[in-house]
Parts: sequence; C-alpha cells; structure tokens
Amino acid sequence: MSPADSKDEEVSRRRFFTLMGLGVGWGGVVAALGGVGAGAARYMFPSVVYEPPTIFKIGLPSQYGIGVDTKLKKERQIWVVRNDRGMYVLIAICRHLGCTPNWFSDQKLFRCPCHGSIYDPYGNVVGGPAPRTLWRAAVSIDPVDGQIVVNFNKRQDPDPKGTEEGLMVEEPGREVEPFFLKV
Amino acid sequence: MSDKGSASESKAASSQSGGFAALIKRTAKGKIGPEDTVLVWPNLVYLELISMVFATAILLFLCLYSPAPLEELASADTTPNPTKAPWYFLGLQELLVFFDPWLAGVVLPTFIIIGLILIPYIDPNPLGKGYYTFSERKFAVTGFSFGLALWYILIVIGVWFRGLDWSWYWPWDDPHMHQPAGAVKLVDLEVILQSTLGLSERPIVTLGRYAVTVANILTWGMFLGYYAVGFTIPFLLFRKFYNRLGFVRYNLTMFMFLSMMGVPLKIFVRLLANIKYVLVTPWFNI
Amino acid sequence: MLELLKRIRNTVNKTQVFKSIFRHGYPDNDANRALVMFSNVVLHLHPVRVHRGALKIKFTWCLGGLTFFFFILLAITGVFLMFYYVPDTNRAYQNIQDLGTVIFFGDLFRSLHRWSAHSMVLFVWLHMTRVFLTGSYKPPREFNWVVGVILLSTTLVLSWTGYLLPWDQLALWAVTVGSKMAEASPLIGNAGPFGPELGMNPTNDIAFVLLGGTVVGQSALLRFYVLHCLALPLVTALFIAVHFWRIRKDGFSGPL
Repeated sequence: MSPADSKDEEVSRRRFFTLMGLGVGWGGVVAALGGVGAGAARYMFPSVVYEPPTIFKIGLPSQYGIGVDTKLKKERQIWVVRNDRGMYVLIAICRHLGCTPNWFSDQKLFRCPCHGSIYDPYGNVVGGPAPRTLWRAAVSIDPVDGQIVVNFNKRQDPDPKGTEEGLMVEEPGREVEPFFLKV
Repeated sequence: MSDKGSASESKAASSQSGGFAALIKRTAKGKIGPEDTVLVWPNLVYLELISMVFATAILLFLCLYSPAPLEELASADTTPNPTKAPWYFLGLQELLVFFDPWLAGVVLPTFIIIGLILIPYIDPNPLGKGYYTFSERKFAVTGFSFGLALWYILIVIGVWFRGLDWSWYWPWDDPHMHQPAGAVKLVDLEVILQSTLGLSERPIVTLGRYAVTVANILTWGMFLGYYAVGFTIPFLLFRKFYNRLGFVRYNLTMFMFLSMMGVPLKIFVRLLANIKYVLVTPWFNI
Repeated sequence: MLELLKRIRNTVNKTQVFKSIFRHGYPDNDANRALVMFSNVVLHLHPVRVHRGALKIKFTWCLGGLTFFFFILLAITGVFLMFYYVPDTNRAYQNIQDLGTVIFFGDLFRSLHRWSAHSMVLFVWLHMTRVFLTGSYKPPREFNWVVGVILLSTTLVLSWTGYLLPWDQLALWAVTVGSKMAEASPLIGNAGPFGPELGMNPTNDIAFVLLGGTVVGQSALLRFYVLHCLALPLVTALFIAVHFWRIRKDGFSGPL
C-alpha cells in the first residue's frame, strides 16, 4: 500500500464520518420535529369527550299508536314509527348535511328545510339531494320495566338502490333485529 | 387638499412627458422617469385617508340601518325553516342541492381554490399586464367572468329565490306557504338507460361491493367521454392555443375549465331530465 | 389664527420629546415627505414616490386597501367584543344579548364587526376580480396572487368560525352543515368516498378535529373561538404582511 493510497483512504474515512455525523444530526432533528408534530396532531383528538347520553329509554310500546310520532324529536332527535307489523325508531338527522327534517302529516313526508331533501315514513329518499336513507336506531325492550331502549349510535344504514321512485331499500330487509320491534 | 396637490403635480408631469398616451407607451417599454412619479405623502396617503373615512361613514350608516341580528338560542332539535347561511356561502349551499356533500362541500371548493392559485401559472399571455383589456386576452377574461358569474348567480338564487324547505320561490309567491313536494322524481342516469335501452340489471362483473352493469359502464363512458372530448377538440381545432400553452399548462387549463363547465351542465341535466346522479358507484356518486 | 397654530407646531416640532418620536419635521417639504415614509413603521408600507397611475381611482378602486382597513376594524371591534364574551354554551348567547341591551355601545361594536366582516368578504372578491381584469398577477407577481388566494380562503374561514360564536340557531346549523361537509371529505371523513375503507369513524376523522367531539357542542364552541380570535387572525396577518411586502418588492403593475 503506497502512502498516497492511505492518504486517500484517510480523506474518504473522514468524509464518511462527516456524512454520518450530518446524517445522524439532521435525522435526529427531523425525527424530533416529526415526533412533536405527530404528538401535536394527536393532541387535537381528546381521549374523553363529554357528550349527552346515547342510550336512553322512551317509555312503553303501548304509548305509541300507528303512524309517525314526533313528540321525542325535540328532546332526543328521533321519530318513533309504528306500522301494522311493528315499530322502529328513525333518527331525525337529514342524511344530506345533518339538519333536522320536519314531518308533514298531511303529505306523509319528512322534508328537510336546509336543502329540500324529502323522505317517506320508511326513511327512503323520494326527493332532494340526500344520498342515503334515514338512519334507524337499534331498539330493544328492557326486561325489567318493559320500556323501549334506544341506542342512538347503533344505526342501520343499508346501501339504497336507485329506482324511479327515488332511493329505496326493500322494507323486509330493514325490519330485522335489533332495528325493529315486533310489538 | 390632496386633490389639489396631485392635480397640480400630475399636470406638471404630463406637460413634461407629452401627455397620457405617451406615458403609457413609455411605461410599457419599462422606462419610467422620475417625472412620472409623485410623492406618496400627501398624494396617496390622503387618498387612503379619505377612502377610509368614507368607508367608516358607510359602515356606521349600515349599523344604524340594520344592526347585527341574533336568532333564537341554539337548539339541536329544531332546524329553522329555511336555514340560510350568510350570503357569501349561499352559492355553496345552492351547489349542495345538485351535488353530494363530498363534491359540493369539499372537492369543488378545493378545485376553485386550486384553480385560482393556478391562474398565473397557466396564463402565458404577456399582454394585458397592468391595464384593463378584453381584446388582448379574450379566453382568460371570458373564462374567469363565467366562473364569477356562475358563483354570483348561485348566490342570487340562494338569497332571493329559495324559501321554505329550500323550495323555489318567485318574488310574488307567498313565502309562508309550503310548496308542494314530491312533484318531481329524481332518477339516476343508469336507471334511465336501463329502462329506455332495455338493458339487463344483472352485473357483468362484481368488484367487492361494486356490481358493474352494462348501464353503469355506459355512464362511465359518458362521464369520461365528456373530459376526453373536451380535451381533444381544442387540441384539434385550436392547435395554436395548445402550442402556446404547452402540454402541462394545456392539460391543467382544460381540466379546470371542463370541471367548471361540468357544474352548470350537471345542474341543467338535473333540471331538464330529473337525473339525480350521472355516475353511481358504491363509494361516491356524481 | 393660522399663524399662531403654525408657531405652536414649529415649537412642538423642536422639542426633545417630539424629536425622540419623529425623526423629521412636519411633512410640508419634499425632504420631510420622504423621511416620513422611511421612518414611520405604518407609512413604511408605502414607497416614497409612487407612479401617477397608482393614484387613479378607476384603476384600483381602493379595493385592496379598504379590505385591509376592514381587517383592522375587525381586529379593533373584535378586541372590544372579547371583553364581554365567554365561549361557554350556557353563557355565550346571554353575553351577546347583553351586548345589545346592557352594554353601552355594545350593539354598535357588534354591528360594526358584522358589517366589516361582510364588507371584507365582498371587497376581497372585488379586489381579486380587479387584479384579474388588470392582469396584475402576471410575472413577476404570480406568487403574490397565490398569497391573495390564501387570504381569500382565510377570510372566508374567519367569517365561518365567527358566526358560531353567538350560539344562536344560525350558528348551530351553519356549523352543523359545515361539519357534515367535513365528514364527507374524501379519504379523511367518515362519510366521504373511501373514508370508511381507510378506517375513518366519527371519533378519528377531520370533523372530529374540527369539533373536538362528535356533536356541535362545548368543545366545538371553544375550538371555533380559539380559531376565530387567535389562530386565524395571526395567520391572516402574517400573509397580509407577505402580501404587502411583495407589492413593495415587485412594484405596482399599473402602467398609467
């Protein structure tokens, strides 16, 4: 090995260590910034949120007659609907952008005041911009006092089918546990 | 005071420079002499002061004429009917009638912002810098004015022609009476194709949740065809336009332009043929 | 009388206190008119001399300057409003009612804030239209147009966050609609295209960040308050500074 070679090697070794030092240093800076950034992003997602209860009782089934009952709309944002087969609970949130639709008993339709979506009593979309049918909440009977228990966050959301009547979901498929009470 | 100052100075300047037209020509050549400029104090500073005083006076008048309103206390169970956003968002709210929220509320506004940002980079025309002109930049001014007009027309519709249940109300209609609902049924384009062409409803291929029918493929063809034809026609007929822009600029310009034109097109399709969606997939509808 | 005022002015201009604040005499001659532009931090936004075309009302219509003026007015009236406002769902509405009933000038400051906001939105649009029509975005001013579009966006977001604060019906429903749109964002919203496929649900998507929860409630009010009163004004002010700086560096586009 000639002296010149060893000198070259010396230089390249120095260069190697310099580069490695720079890499480790800048890598550390980037990693630290990334860690802080990720932590700050996670900071925006609180682990606990204090929000109203989503499971609640709405009284006995016998309190609800045939048709759409709007008396719980104010308090619980739901409509209780009974037909000749049983009852289900529609969530009073428009599937378009979340406004609360109004029930028109003369037209037998729900109509949203924000962008004009129209639903039938089954929750099917018969007009307006709504892309999906109204949600139905999970319902059950409390074995102790016989009241209806509504789980507001457990929702039935089937893929609707485009038809000439609007966005429809076949009714028998919807009238299943736990979204339907045969009472 | 300021007017006098600026008037006398500009008179002096123009007598030195030989009039206004000559001044424009000189500036266009990048030769601005000190005789073409004036001191900011008092000429511009006082102009600004006066316009601020005027603006304040008008604002104060508006405050007395129409103080800030306050609606009823927020309540999650009753949506006021109709619910109208402030006027500058009503164009957006009107779009929400014709497009799904992901498109009208997120993608289209993003396109508008990106399109606006792109303007200086896709307009290679060196003419018309620093003065009002239409003849020197016809396409740019027309395109921009079209978008602006679309935006303002939608706002006007939202402010004055929408009432209870977001139905259409003419100024002479009683704003307290609900309009009859459900007179018009909206149908997807593929459903119309299926029934008019007698196509089978059975899917040819099923990709996960996506059942692809013949009618569905046809709607894809029409949707992509709109862009394909739109990209090709100017390329064939206005080759000069293409050459001036170059490949990247041309494609960006045409994509933004066609997307913009697609908005009123979809609105017309909805209004004329009662078509809800022109394209349906399990993940998104257009 | 005029002579007396002039004498007083000349005396005041020679005092040590005056000289310590203003490094020039009264701007009634060209030297002092130039110095006032150099040494005053606010006026320093301007150059010393400006092209005659810049004074043509029919060219600029004062739109950009007035937009900035509305921003200043909003900052001032906003600070006044903050003295009486608590971002608490149980108190916010009452606070706003108090402004209209029991606080002297309360209604005026609130109305001024509202009308300035409307005007700012309108004037930002008009200013952009003017800049487009005069081709003032063309090289070398492309980047300043981009900054302008960013300012347009922050102006709109500022107004949107602002009208949640009174906690009235408009507030609640406008923000409900807005947050549903966020939920419908492609990829990052739980109801948007490909959102659920990417594992988005109501507790981890973009709407959750915006509202600090899953419903428009206390956390949302607080987030919007912080955004409206602090975060967004800072961002806007920063970009306004860049906007003005670039105008000074790139010069005025008017040929007249």
